[in-house]
Amino acid sequence: MTVSQVYLKKIAINQLVDASLYDEITDQHLAMWKSTWVPAMEAYCQGRAEAKKPDDSQWDWKWKAEGWRPFLKYHSFSIVCEKELQGLMLASDVKSARVQDQFGKPIVYVELLASAPWNRSKIQKPKRFHGVGTVLMAAAVQLSIDMGFKGRVGLHSLPGAVSFYKDDCGMTPLGNDAAYGNWIYFEMTEKQAAEFRQK
Amino acid sequence: MADNEKRTMTLNLTVREMAVLEELAAKKDLNKTGVMRLALRLLQAVDAKIQAGHKLMFEDEKTKEKGELLML
Repeated sequence: MTVSQVYLKKIAINQLVDASLYDEITDQHLAMWKSTWVPAMEAYCQGRAEAKKPDDSQWDWKWKAEGWRPFLKYHSFSIVCEKELQGLMLASDVKSARVQDQFGKPIVYVELLASAPWNRSKIQKPKRFHGVGTVLMAAAVQLSIDMGFKGRVGLHSLPGAVSFYKDDCGMTPLGNDAAYGNWIYFEMTEKQAAEFRQK
Repeated sequence: MADNEKRTMTLNLTVREMAVLEELAAKKDLNKTGVMRLALRLLQAVDAKIQAGHKLMFEDEKTKEKGELLML
């Protein structure tokens, strides 16, 4: 397991603070998810209609981990800051690109990406840290480069995250995908990855 | 063992196999090691599904015709 130093913006002091990016979601991270993330999400969801709950409110990372851990194709990442879990991501490396000029070439596909509930403006105002999603996407791009995929990344966006992937990450939307809950499929080309890394 | 620790092996391929490997490397924009690593990941994932009693199917997007890929 590799731990990299990254930075998140702490909203309360409006300054960047040190955080740790792990290229693995460990049992310890899953325990942190269970003890802090889940209660915060449950508290927010209590009494809300199903449609008003965050799209990922039912994601059980502990259960999912049992499914991905035996397989080489999966890569998991977590961010810890101030001794608390701030974000999780699962990516895979056997899918192919759909954008015309890179069609059929391998991509890193982001299977799951989530910020902790306290880092989302819709759940907590002000949120605690800014930049979790960007750091995780940067990790996906770096993984793509490390795999020899030149930064190519693909994903299906949850409805609430469309503007993040389109505007903040500069990815190309390729329309709704009926095979994936009608979520919009996004792809990042080699050029877009280079531009994203410049930010 | 760290996951990024590498091991080296010699791979003996026939001329035809090497030609296919080189063709795939060009098509996928990968080096030959990258193609073999991708193949290993796919085989592991497919094998797990087959072992669990699943079938590997391909569907023609236009005609919706389905074809089964037999795995031994």
